[in-house]
Amino acid sequence: MSFRKRHGIGDLGVGVGFRTKHYPHVLETKPAMDWFEVISENFLVAGGPPRANVERLKDAYPVVPHGVSLSIGGNAPLDDDYLRRLKAFVDWLDPPWVSDHLCWGGAAGLHIHELLPLPHTEAVAAHVVERVKRVQGFLERPFALENVSSYMTFRESTMQEWELLSTIAERADCGILLDCNNVYVSSRNHTIDADAYIDAVPADRVVQIHLAGHTDKGKYLLDTHSDHVCDAVWKLYERAIGRCGAVSTLVEWDDDIPEWDVLSEEAATARRLRASVLSRGASPRPVEVRP
Amino acid sequence: MSPAPPSLVELQTSLMDLLRRDASLSTDADASARAAEIATGNDRLTGVEQVDIYREQYFLRHVGALREDFESLAALLGEDGFDALARAYLSAHPPTSFTLRDLGHALPAFVAERAPWRDDALVADMARLEWAFVDAFDAADATKIELAAIASMPEDAWPLARVRLHPSVQLVEMAHVAEDYRSQARKLLAGEISELPRPEPGPRYIVVFRGSEKLKYIDVDRGAFALLAALRDGHALGDACERAAATAEMTEQTFQEALGGWFQSWTSWGWITALERAG
Repeated sequence: MSFRKRHGIGDLGVGVGFRTKHYPHVLETKPAMDWFEVISENFLVAGGPPRANVERLKDAYPVVPHGVSLSIGGNAPLDDDYLRRLKAFVDWLDPPWVSDHLCWGGAAGLHIHELLPLPHTEAVAAHVVERVKRVQGFLERPFALENVSSYMTFRESTMQEWELLSTIAERADCGILLDCNNVYVSSRNHTIDADAYIDAVPADRVVQIHLAGHTDKGKYLLDTHSDHVCDAVWKLYERAIGRCGAVSTLVEWDDDIPEWDVLSEEAATARRLRASVLSRGASPRPVEVRP
Repeated sequence: MSPAPPSLVELQTSLMDLLRRDASLSTDADASARAAEIATGNDRLTGVEQVDIYREQYFLRHVGALREDFESLAALLGEDGFDALARAYLSAHPPTSFTLRDLGHALPAFVAERAPWRDDALVADMARLEWAFVDAFDAADATKIELAAIASMPEDAWPLARVRLHPSVQLVEMAHVAEDYRSQARKLLAGEISELPRPEPGPRYIVVFRGSEKLKYIDVDRGAFALLAALRDGHALGDACERAAATAEMTEQTFQEALGGWFQSWTSWGWITALERAG
């Protein structure tokens, strides 16, 4: 099954992450929101309120799962138990795509619960491509890889991060979850050109965009998802929409989570910017169909 | 599937060791040298400092996750005391599950065995109680059966029948009257009270369970607790009753008199999901 044939993935509009603080408001009042993203791992449990809550959410909104534990770049074999539980959840949820990060998160039987960056090398690309193919085939669902924020530069890297991401997406025939905040954080931390990053990512593979806030730690930026989206990231978002067209967009806010109205207004800002860029004539999303 | 490139295995193995170190990498010459071999650094941070960002995040994330699951332990031990416990625990039990939900699974046993925490029974009490809440919260769903279904079983089938408890039912024997300590600890952490009185000595026999999607707990008789434990462990009802009566030091008559009331309560609380006849 070719990814290009899956370009029928629709534009869900602008959504937000489904977080505990907002459960009562969202589930009881069903406020206007285009869609929600859920952290997959939080729902890979036997039963109880987590599954009941996501079931109620699913009845009212489109819901897309986003993982943090796949460790697609890890050297350990893929975790079969994790994949089986993820597939069962995904089959039940029936989302248009599934995503996780271009990173690694453990080795030798240990999980470090961190989105650790990978060296940008041809060998790493080949390693990840093979694993993405296996994951995508196992889940029987379009799979997208997200670029992570990074705070470390590897001596052995031989290419830019966007080259690694693009190479993997093309060879593995998967989608890209383009996180504009992560592009910005990494560009500041490693003094790289964020615009060049956005421009280099294959637009027809971007199925989702992430927006979030970060924290300035003085000598580096930390991806904390604890604040408003900054102006520079909004600009990157406009650039990304200009290139990619109407792509499903998600505002993440995971720490110091504000009241619903604040989060909802952040999503509304994204919606306004997106509409403005698209009204200026951004290309509609290309749909390629093989003869 | 072909193996990972050797350089990637080497790099990740080395980083896993460095990131779990309990002190800044700059304090250890060997660790610093290894980090510098991996990361280039930039005009603001050395390679060692870059790797150290991830090491700090490892402890912040995992100590924070343990603090969320063990709130009353955090209140009991204080900021620094809990931090010391969490770091010792992470060293002995590094995370092996893909989910942080499982991180504290071995903490109750850890504090019961390891000095100095083993010297305070309240620490073990609260660790067991709080982990019971974690396990009850997302245990599998199951449909409860009504008392009438139990009452309809012929009397001669009872001794060999097996009673299935709801997966959320967790049994916690405590040495202190501390089942309310958690709610008091939350008030302390929220600044609503200024002191957390130490609970009186027990014993207490607490059952934690999920009812109507909410976590609940109740203190039960020693005999009831012993019977629930025997049923949970898979003993047939007759055998379970004998074991429970002996454990609770109850006569057969007093045990039998209490049994009907216990089952009435347990079914009303949704603790029983099946009554299976032998054969």
